[in-house]
Amino acid sequence: MTRFIALRLRRPALIAMIGTAYAAAWLVHGGNGWVWAITLEVATVAWAVAVYVRGGRDTDEGALAGSRLDERQQLVAQRSWALTGKVGMLASFAGFAVSIAVRSADWLPFLVILAVTGFAFLMGLSTYGVGEEGPADDATDGLNERAPVSH
Amino acid sequence: MRNRVREQRTQQGLSQAEVAAALGVSRQTVISIESGRYLPSLPLAFRIARFFDMTVDKMFDPEDEETGS
Repeated sequence: MTRFIALRLRRPALIAMIGTAYAAAWLVHGGNGWVWAITLEVATVAWAVAVYVRGGRDTDEGALAGSRLDERQQLVAQRSWALTGKVGMLASFAGFAVSIAVRSADWLPFLVILAVTGFAFLMGLSTYGVGEEGPADDATDGLNERAPVSH
Repeated sequence: MRNRVREQRTQQGLSQAEVAAALGVSRQTVISIESGRYLPSLPLAFRIARFFDMTVDKMFDPEDEETGS
């Protein structure tokens, strides 16, 4: 679907969808939840507009907001997401360990997040090609040695 | 690893933005390559070399790494 959305609109649209879903959850919650829902929706729209404006700037942040990353910016974004995953995994493990130590009944969400992030790591290894190098070809024995470099 | 991107660009009187547009990358990436903070991928290295009408090994000099200097 995002193929049909202009590049600069992709991230604001994603923010709008996530924010609206969260606001809808408060609306469904009932009671005074509608106050939160309206507040969240207004904040979501403001955030989406801000990201759209930022997407027009000639900076790395602008490229990220405008979904027009080149290879270096993609690498930076990937490293940033990898760090996010590591921190999330460590934080969930810390939360799990602490909840066990203090005999809290809230250990399950931490364990679920830990399991999901661990599974995501394994899925990443599978998706991005670990183990796809194939078996060694005996016919090339000796050819894999480092070739002399000519200067 | 040293490279001759800045040298070639200034010799040809081009701005970083013009080189970036020709190579299909951002101006910030050209700046990073020129300063040696970012090593381009092999396809981008070939695009850079072709753009300046040079070979990759003339454009990118690994001497710094090999000598450890």
